[in-house]
Amino acid sequence: MSIIREHTQATLSDAWRTIDIDALEEDSPANFDTATLRPAQQQPEVSEADVRQLQAQVRQLLRGGDAEGALRGCLEAPAYGGSELARDAALHTVIEVLQSIKASDMTPMLRRIYGGAGGSECLDVLMKYIYKGMAATSSATGGAPRTPTRMTPQPTGFSQIGPRPGASGESTGAAMSVLLSWHEKVVEVAGLGCIGRVMTDWRKV
Amino acid sequence: MVSLDQRASQSLRPYLQAVRSSLTAALCLSNFASQTAERHNVPEVEARTSPEVLLTPLTIARNENERVLIEPSINSIRISIKIKQADEIEHILVHKFTRFLTQRAESFFILRRKPIKGYDISFLITNFHTEEMLKHKLVDFIIQFMEEVDKEISEMKLFLNARARFVAESFLIPFD
Amino acid sequence: MTAPEVHHLFHNPIADHSFSADHKTLAVARNTTVELYSKVGNAFKLKDELKGHDKTVTSIDIAPNSGRIVSCSQDRNALVWEPTPQGYKPTLVLLRINRAATFVRWSPSETKFAVGSGDRLIAVCYFEEENDWWVSKHLKKPIRSTVTTVAWHPNSVLLAAGSTDAHARVFSSFIKGVDARPEPTAWGERLPFNTVCGEYMNNSAGWVHSVAFSPSGDALAFAAHDSSITVVYPSAPEQPPKAVISINTQLLPFMSLIWNGEAEIIAAGYDCEAFRFAGGVDGWQLSGAVETKGRPGLGDQREESALNMFRQMDLKGKAKDDTQLKTVHQNTITMIRPFETSGDAVKKFSSTGVDGRIVIWTV
Repeated sequence: MSIIREHTQATLSDAWRTIDIDALEEDSPANFDTATLRPAQQQPEVSEADVRQLQAQVRQLLRGGDAEGALRGCLEAPAYGGSELARDAALHTVIEVLQSIKASDMTPMLRRIYGGAGGSECLDVLMKYIYKGMAATSSATGGAPRTPTRMTPQPTGFSQIGPRPGASGESTGAAMSVLLSWHEKVVEVAGLGCIGRVMTDWRKV
Repeated sequence: MVSLDQRASQSLRPYLQAVRSSLTAALCLSNFASQTAERHNVPEVEARTSPEVLLTPLTIARNENERVLIEPSINSIRISIKIKQADEIEHILVHKFTRFLTQRAESFFILRRKPIKGYDISFLITNFHTEEMLKHKLVDFIIQFMEEVDKEISEMKLFLNARARFVAESFLIPFD
Repeated sequence: MTAPEVHHLFHNPIADHSFSADHKTLAVARNTTVELYSKVGNAFKLKDELKGHDKTVTSIDIAPNSGRIVSCSQDRNALVWEPTPQGYKPTLVLLRINRAATFVRWSPSETKFAVGSGDRLIAVCYFEEENDWWVSKHLKKPIRSTVTTVAWHPNSVLLAAGSTDAHARVFSSFIKGVDARPEPTAWGERLPFNTVCGEYMNNSAGWVHSVAFSPSGDALAFAAHDSSITVVYPSAPEQPPKAVISINTQLLPFMSLIWNGEAEIIAAGYDCEAFRFAGGVDGWQLSGAVETKGRPGLGDQREESALNMFRQMDLKGKAKDDTQLKTVHQNTITMIRPFETSGDAVKKFSSTGVDGRIVIWTV
């Protein structure tokens, strides 16, 4: 009797059905140690203070009109493996630099950076920031979608009160179009291989 | 209004260009048998059983409510599109339209039956698709879909509004 | 530069191909069968079909001297096909693996072959006279993911392998009673089975698709999914390598690479064409494509595309016909192999890909 009751109690909750038994086996492919995909000589952890310092230096350079130096400075010290806050701050610094550069200066500047020592690596880092920038802005607002997911009942169903298309999201739209044009220019200079490396690389900004 | 449209089409081009180059780079698939289940060959991006064969997902965004998510893996990639929805009518239209398509997923080969969370429509391309179909044509198809779907939705909206106006007018005739 | 020899065999992917030493027989892996072609006039004619696998055949190799064919498949098996007057006789190999077999190559001595697998190990197989059977020993540590490719050192003891854990490794596959004691090399001196002589990874990781030893065996090159080629020059056993040179390209990833002498590498992959790299221990760079586009042999094709252009304009209102790629291969090249060599230099090489074409290129 007691056994039967236990049995029924156990089956009342079927949570055990969803246990991922593969994860319990140490040697299973699901437990692949992704740390082995990062290079052995780890770069030091980037702290928030480092990023602030970099940000100050970069702003100084921007004020002095040396946008290329500012960009190079950001890309040579990528925020790998820092805290969430530090990495976000680094991303904002890069976007600030990108926004301050004129469209006509982009390609020549990228070519100079690509031609220099470690140039390919620099543009890979820039591409990582561009993708992160696009993902960050869309998820920050994507969390609370402006388009109502839950339809509010309306007598006609043809409400025109909502904002016109393109009227809102102007600011994010503008930030995106800067990133999109940089994306295009980086692909022109560093090729599709650059996008491939953003995907394969486990050192994430 | 014209200037607004012009600006929209201007930023559409780099957006589609970025999607095109990201897709071309991500569509490098090979035949890869499962490491978890013997004698199986499954899309790794869906199975998610081996972390090392999944690559960093890429997001391409035009603004906060138009974006594409590309999730690449060794033998398959998943592309999810968030279609522009400016108001409730567009939201309903997009929902109906994508539902219509996903119900007919067998005839679209690469269409996923269910969009992933936060997106309106998802595609799943495996190495068997890239073996059978030309890769640049697959990319063209996705790009064309993205171009057309915006146009389609706005057209449907205009049509719907015109109809609503006509209905309203007919209703109001007795009071004329 | 002579035009490449193009043969379109069928509309299926060719996973791997191998020519016999006399170039008379071509074996290709098509779905679950191995097809043998022989050259009749200017075309390849289907001669024989070897059926024995029930899942996709992933790799094949013909031993140049004995003529034995070894094939492996995602059904976890490898078969050795012995040529007899009545046709090819298959023998099952005791692989003892539980996942797909992904890649197979005969050692230069032809007494062993190595099978890479999704079971995260390499089975080194050799013939056991007393049991009349091919048996295997496993190279297991420190492989963490599916082995995608293997390549033999000229001394038939060292084995290079690449896997989806983004590492290229050099192992010893010394088997007592089968191998003679090898001369010490820069990779190692004493080489018991499963000695790891080197383990290499790029900073940007990426699955390794292809590995190859240079003709002398003193350098190792590998191609990874981060669109790069890496060349490793070892210095001495147990020492860090003399140089590890990584070339990140602007192209799509390479699936296969071969050495042409010590100073050139030819690699091909998702760009559907082959590229040359030149260099040495001081540095390497991309020197250009093997294929010259718009070469004279394309005249007839151009005419055809003019016809197509008007047809396209008529049917689809489209002025440009872009269904055909400009390259000879119309889809990813998955395997390139030396076809004709003189000494260490490759004079011709063959390539096959997902588009079902085999192309023989003159270097």
